[in-house]
Amino acid sequence: MPEGQIVKGYIMPGMPHVMLPTESAARSELRNACRMAGANAREARPDVLIVFSTQWVSVLGHLVQARANPTGLHVDENWYDLGNLPYNFRTDLEVARRTIDLGTAAGLQVRPVDYEGFPVDTGTLVALNFLNPKSEISVVCISCNIYSGREEELKLGQAAADAVRALGRRAVVVASTGLSGHYFTREITDEEDRIVNQDDDAANRKLLDLMAAGKSVDAMDLVPEYAAKTGADMQFKSYYWLMGAIGADRVKGKVLGYGSIWGSGAAVVEFTA
Amino acid sequence: MARKGSIVCGFIAPHPPHLVYGENPPQNIPRSSGGWEVLRWAYDNCREKIKELKPDVIIVHTPHWMTLVGHHVTRVPRLKGLSVDPIFPHLFRYNFDTAIDVELADAVYDEARAEGLIARKMTNPDFRLDYGTIVTSHMLNPGWDIPILSLSANNSPYYFSLGVGIEEMYKLGRATRRAIEKTGRRAVLAASNTLSHFHFDREPDPNLPEDMSKEHVFSHANYLWDMRVLRLMREGKMDELLSVLPEFIEKTGAEVKSGGLFWMLAAMRFPKIPARVHGYWSVIATGNAVVEWDLSAGADGAGAQLHA
Repeated sequence: MPEGQIVKGYIMPGMPHVMLPTESAARSELRNACRMAGANAREARPDVLIVFSTQWVSVLGHLVQARANPTGLHVDENWYDLGNLPYNFRTDLEVARRTIDLGTAAGLQVRPVDYEGFPVDTGTLVALNFLNPKSEISVVCISCNIYSGREEELKLGQAAADAVRALGRRAVVVASTGLSGHYFTREITDEEDRIVNQDDDAANRKLLDLMAAGKSVDAMDLVPEYAAKTGADMQFKSYYWLMGAIGADRVKGKVLGYGSIWGSGAAVVEFTA
Repeated sequence: MARKGSIVCGFIAPHPPHLVYGENPPQNIPRSSGGWEVLRWAYDNCREKIKELKPDVIIVHTPHWMTLVGHHVTRVPRLKGLSVDPIFPHLFRYNFDTAIDVELADAVYDEARAEGLIARKMTNPDFRLDYGTIVTSHMLNPGWDIPILSLSANNSPYYFSLGVGIEEMYKLGRATRRAIEKTGRRAVLAASNTLSHFHFDREPDPNLPEDMSKEHVFSHANYLWDMRVLRLMREGKMDELLSVLPEFIEKTGAEVKSGGLFWMLAAMRFPKIPARVHGYWSVIATGNAVVEWDLSAGADGAGAQLHA
């Protein structure tokens, strides 16, 4: 069996607004970038998509979806008026279980979930909508633990990568996350949408510039300060996981799109290993 | 014209799914050998009280329906489905089926907007009720023969500050009270939250969650805080209670920060009557109390001058 590899990595927004047609220029750029990410990811012929979503929040360590065929209908608790998200996909159980085993061996608390009706989160489903619209590719879903930090997420990303290699898979890894987390607390129209303040916008751009320059370690070093200033989505810890999976020392990001969703920052960044 | 409605009772009604799990009702799929009896017996008292009072509606403010833009109300005549707790799926996979008081939902929405709050009506029939609403509703009324109304927890105490959050909850409380009065409802209120909220980050034994030999409150300091707050409630010292709650939240991570207790006290016009503590115990180390304010004799309003 040939050794597996991670062929692409992505940062993608998880808010459902990006799936909707809109006149908003910023939203349109993000949506087109998501579509491009989807096309590029599929062109890389992955066997599995591994999605770490900041909207799947766990408290007792990390959880990994271990149901063979999650199916259901998801309604977002905030954006229920934007439409329902039906889902029906296959889980790569071997990669899921090996990730759990390797993560546990690394000292992490990682547990499987295999229950009918277990809620698949909005962030995962938005990413899959673009990456896997026909549900032809197997998936592994990983939760975001609220208490974990850089070291734990790097280890968990490494565990996923090791699982991929050991099982001979071609994998695309995805961090479904926003950037700056400050948002409009009032009703807005699509035309009004923008990053809520200039400081957040500047901080987002600085971080994205580091990624684009291939300075992933510098970007990780910046994350704590960035997250504190911008209220970043789950402290932007999904980036640690992504770098743990891809290998921070050998990737350069390509920013496919950047914009706002309800005032928060969002970007599509592609990493080619 | 409808009679003037009233709040007949208010409960702090915590929502750890462990309580439903320990009870083994037919709606919940996982089975247990019991556990957390002191809290479950406390809820038995509430059930009896609710049967006596025969309310028209139970209104639940839940921290597990966290909304970013404004305060949301469930506004669908009936909600039904399977709710699997994303944190404790091995304990809680519950088939819910409940009537929603949509007329009251409309009234709360209107009055909230009249208070200057942003409000939304949740009208998606496929919406999955959060487990905070379900656990609290079940523990108060397992027969589900009384319509409910679920109110979301706006993120303002976390996004802005506790002070901003409290102000919003006082407004929402006033709005809820007016809505109840205008619609002629006899309403029970439920603030679905724990007290101290530090918890274990690992289950002592995931294969036997109901092992009570492993259950204890997170720390003595948290315990003392919980007791201090409960003593103030039992003594009816509303002013002291309100003044100490911010420090309580800061020191213990108390879930009351999410707003339900402030909402309920405001809706009840800060009653200075002794509350009845039906029971206190820990669940995975968090402090939980079932507490009742009985307003059925018209006892509310004594604290209104200070805080409303």
